Amino acid sequence: MTIEALLTMILIFGICLGGFILFLYLSSKEN
Amino acid sequence: MKKSETFSRWGIIFAGIGMAIGTGNLWRFPRIASQYGGGAFMIAWIVFLFIWAIPLLTVELALGKKIRMGVIGSFGKMMGRKYAWMGTFVAFVTAAITFYYTVVTGWCVKYLFATCFQGLIRKEPIQYWETFSTSWEPVGFHFLAVFIGCSIIYFGVVKGIERANKILIPSLFVLLLIAVGRSLTLPGAVQGLNFLFSPNLAQLGNIKVWLNALSQAAWSTGAGWGLMLTLGVYSRKKENPLLTTATLGFGNNMASLLAAAAVIPTVFSFFAGQNLAQEKVLDIMKQGNEGLTFKWIPILFSQIPSGNFFLALFFLALCFAAFSSLISQLELISRIFMDTGLTRKKAVTIVGVCCFVLGLPSALSMGFFNNQDWVWAMGLVVSGSFFLILILKAGPRKIREEIITRPEHKIRLGRWFDFLVTFFLPVQIIAMLGWWFWDSYSANPGNWWNILSKTSIGTVIFQWAVALGIFIIFNKLITKKLSLDKK
Repeated sequence: MTIEALLTMILIFGICLGGFILFLYLSSKEN
Repeated sequence: MKKSETFSRWGIIFAGIGMAIGTGNLWRFPRIASQYGGGAFMIAWIVFLFIWAIPLLTVELALGKKIRMGVIGSFGKMMGRKYAWMGTFVAFVTAAITFYYTVVTGWCVKYLFATCFQGLIRKEPIQYWETFSTSWEPVGFHFLAVFIGCSIIYFGVVKGIERANKILIPSLFVLLLIAVGRSLTLPGAVQGLNFLFSPNLAQLGNIKVWLNALSQAAWSTGAGWGLMLTLGVYSRKKENPLLTTATLGFGNNMASLLAAAAVIPTVFSFFAGQNLAQEKVLDIMKQGNEGLTFKWIPILFSQIPSGNFFLALFFLALCFAAFSSLISQLELISRIFMDTGLTRKKAVTIVGVCCFVLGLPSALSMGFFNNQDWVWAMGLVVSGSFFLILILKAGPRKIREEIITRPEHKIRLGRWFDFLVTFFLPVQIIAMLGWWFWDSYSANPGNWWNILSKTSIGTVIFQWAVALGIFIIFNKLITKKLSLDKK
């Protein structure tokens, strides 16, 4: 796998998974 | 609102993710992402999650929570009853999609059965699809999909919608993870990942990449459909709409990414070692949703070890995704009937009968199905624009401060929301509609006006105009039925 593709994959998955966990955490804190 | 009709904290998150995740995540996203620049497309797609999907979904959820009525009632209450026809159009577009989406759900159930019990993997898939889609069989599976969907919402919000989604969504993610594990261990899978995630940043200068990313973000998350508004009717008073919709938006994107990581490497492994593998993969991706799912996926899985098991797993995931969305769509229509004073049981029965009858033409004719998909999928952009008009008429600041936010909310929308909905959302809507009209005209310049053509601009304008005309003429009657003049 090329390094560019690997980094992009980590970035895209990171944003989506990170965003999901972050907002899940924030919403559980607020509710 | 009764306790049995109010989502728990986890309930609305699962129901929201279920609403957003549909067959499009599994069969459209991998196709579109691979055709329009892979990594570059995904960057644009995430941008539109922030500037299209989350703002619209937040407004929808907040409206449902504030007004506690379905789509028509919410438009009537917010804009005045003479504008309730806009809500009727939004509801009708989603209903029209539901009529053929039940047919699609039926196909998924049929293919799951065929894989498990009829040895689909040993048959000739292209011939199998042609025979199935032109027979009476889709009618039976369409009935089954309507029956299962209506049975779930018949039990109510907590015992029906919440409970079903709490099973469907975690199971779907587990199935997708197993499918990803299998696809990544196939020979040639790495080429698939390279193809899918190569950044190719030059593609970000291509307007088509942005427009396709916008359309994927709009259709996949369900923003502007009125579905989140309907779920919001059953949300708790203290629910923070921004946090809930952001969670489901990212959850929906995760499902799409996992689906792409399962499908694309599998396609590549099929062509591993062959010349022009990338061109061959792109050819498959251009065959449309049904072409990829019902013709090519069985062929691809037939070539991998334990292919039958993984094919069944794929169609099970597709069924779960289809039903999780279908539930919300059926609830949207039922909510409107309940707003007229009908009990849930009566409303669901009426919706079930209507969906079955009005879905029959699509179940029997692929031509009719394609026409309806062509007309009403684009109708969703008009639905989105009606939500935008509602926001602009009420005032973005008022919506933000009085409808979305409550005093106890710690995380709130900032002023950027007013700027976004005033300037960015209109630009996105105009760009999407303009591009679609131009693209459709270019594909068929001599016949674009023909209302009898299955996929022309003429048939779209004609059907939209007929629906809008009817809803405007009968607006007074509809608002009276919903008692909008009294409340």
